[in-house]
Amino acid sequence: MASTVLRASPSRKVRGDPVLLLPVVVAAGLAVGRLGLHGDVSGMRVAADLALSWTLVAAALAVRERPRWRRAGWLLATASFAVLGADLVWAASNALWTLGFLLEGLWAALLVHLVLAFPDGRPWSRVAQIAISGAYVATLGGQLVGAFVDPNTRDVLGFAPHETVAHNVDRAQETTAMVAGLVVLVLVVRRLRVLGGPSRRAQGPLLVAAAVTASSAVFCLGWVIATDSASLALETIVRAVAVSMPLGIVAGIVWSRLRRPELSELVVELPTGAGGMRERLARALGDPTLEVVYRLADGRSVDATGRPVSLPHGTDRTVTAVTAGGEEIAALVHDPALLDEPALVESVRATAGLVLENERLAAEVRSQLAEVRASRGRIVAAADAERRRIERDLHDGAQQRLVTLSVALGLEAARADPAAADVLSRAQDDVEGALVELRELARGIHPALLRDEGLEAAVEALARRAPLPVTVHGTVGGRLSDPIELAAYFVVSEALTNVVKHASATEASVLLERETAALQVAVVDDGIGGARVRPGSGLTGLRDRLEALDATLTLESEAARGTTVRASIPCGS
Amino acid sequence: MRRSTIVGTRVLIVDDHRPFRAVARELLERAGYVVSGEAADAAEALDAVAADAPDAVLLDVQLPDRDGFAVATELAAGDGPAVVLISSRQADDYGRRVETCGARGFISKSKLSAAAFAALLE
Repeated sequence: MASTVLRASPSRKVRGDPVLLLPVVVAAGLAVGRLGLHGDVSGMRVAADLALSWTLVAAALAVRERPRWRRAGWLLATASFAVLGADLVWAASNALWTLGFLLEGLWAALLVHLVLAFPDGRPWSRVAQIAISGAYVATLGGQLVGAFVDPNTRDVLGFAPHETVAHNVDRAQETTAMVAGLVVLVLVVRRLRVLGGPSRRAQGPLLVAAAVTASSAVFCLGWVIATDSASLALETIVRAVAVSMPLGIVAGIVWSRLRRPELSELVVELPTGAGGMRERLARALGDPTLEVVYRLADGRSVDATGRPVSLPHGTDRTVTAVTAGGEEIAALVHDPALLDEPALVESVRATAGLVLENERLAAEVRSQLAEVRASRGRIVAAADAERRRIERDLHDGAQQRLVTLSVALGLEAARADPAAADVLSRAQDDVEGALVELRELARGIHPALLRDEGLEAAVEALARRAPLPVTVHGTVGGRLSDPIELAAYFVVSEALTNVVKHASATEASVLLERETAALQVAVVDDGIGGARVRPGSGLTGLRDRLEALDATLTLESEAARGTTVRASIPCGS
Repeated sequence: MRRSTIVGTRVLIVDDHRPFRAVARELLERAGYVVSGEAADAAEALDAVAADAPDAVLLDVQLPDRDGFAVATELAAGDGPAVVLISSRQADDYGRRVETCGARGFISKSKLSAAAFAALLE
């Protein structure tokens, strides 16, 4: 039986449970409501604060089911208190008034933190980190400085009351808050554009709500700065709009559940062909970016086609290992949001474990096939290197000695008496004959001209040496890799040898044509036709060389209609 | 080239195979050439040409440091000696390089004779 191991992205542990706060928040809310209704505060404002505070704590409770969102839960709960805490300015006590003054705006900084570090509590980016810090400094720091200089007689910290300074602190705070709001707006919109799949479903509603809230806050702050007047009505509007944020979080959770994948199709339809399982899992899990990586017995990771792949690092992708019988058989590379529903991945294990195991075996076979092909290519290349060495040894060794011997025999023949000269001349002829054979042998082993001058020159030399007229057409446009040039050369060489030996042809032609992805080689004669590839023939011997390059060789040879040998050798673009 | 024009013509022999240089020297000297020197590689050959200013160079294509075509091209670029290429391979094995390197011509080593050499120098 397979079992899954989740390897979640590391995140700092947050302990405790916001549910414990529920009665406290409700009680505090009721107390604040009572304060407000007994004081000189509009009912709308009291209602807006209670709505914001209670929806925040409700959202904090809703995110409890998602372990990765625990930090967001605590931010929501703290913001819920901060909203009520700021309302202490309605209390009769001067100390409570001052505390409320200090807490004014903290809820907004907490919501900036919530959004820009959503969902796992890690700020999205460096800019997000700066915006979060800026929001806290502007609210808490600004209020603390403001408390020292505020001329309000209820301010117990007002050690240095100063109307103008207090006013300037307010303006600076409002300006900073407006900039922070704009930054949040930009970051949120950018985030909305890049998020896809499960992350978009889970986070989209909150991000939209945050964009709307940030816009309204920026508008209201702009109004306050422009008119140089505080407005309780505008503050109330922003708080009312901010209610959409906790609601957005709850909506995201609900939306994710509604789109809960239909895993049943995984077992109803078995995938066909390489990669079928990836498509099916991606559709079932609602994550089009999902990739399936198979773990081979030798520790390598490959895709369904058997190609080696590496697992991603970083936080924007998550790797979930799927194990069977203690052995890791596959890994799903997916949107981190899928981790928020562990049951989902468990379902994949239950329904797709066997199919994944089968696909892994298929991927292993494909990988081995690719390895065999690569190995054959290496064997051919090694054989070619050896051929080149032998050709050079023949040239530098035996050929040199025979050449010297031939010239020396000629010299001796010139000054010998006629009888001896005749013997020496015949010996020289024999040496010359041996040299001719040795040259042919060396050319057959590895043609020096091909190495030095390329395919066209080497094929033209083959044509010139043929005992019948051979014309060469086409061009290959420069040098190709050694294996391709050698394969093409040997095809032409072997085909021309067959023309001479078997075809009874009067002429032949060679066509070399380099297309985008392949080198086309054709050797055509006007002979008797009827040729076929026999086991053990020269063309059969070329098969390994050609197959190592994924090349094809075809023979067209109808009786009395000549013979055409064609090779198509892939050569990239 | 008649014998009268051969006599005294100074030739540098360039080949990395010493026994071949020896028979080539004997062959040329017997015909009336003066062998100004021998070289076993391209660097030695270029030094010898600079030092001795031979009239002609019998130059092997395959040398240990550079190939004979490159040396022929370099010598042809200046007002250098006439170059005749030799190789144990045939001209066919070198495609068009023989014609384009600036040499007077090519003799397959086993066909080397004073007459063939003289014919290319004419």
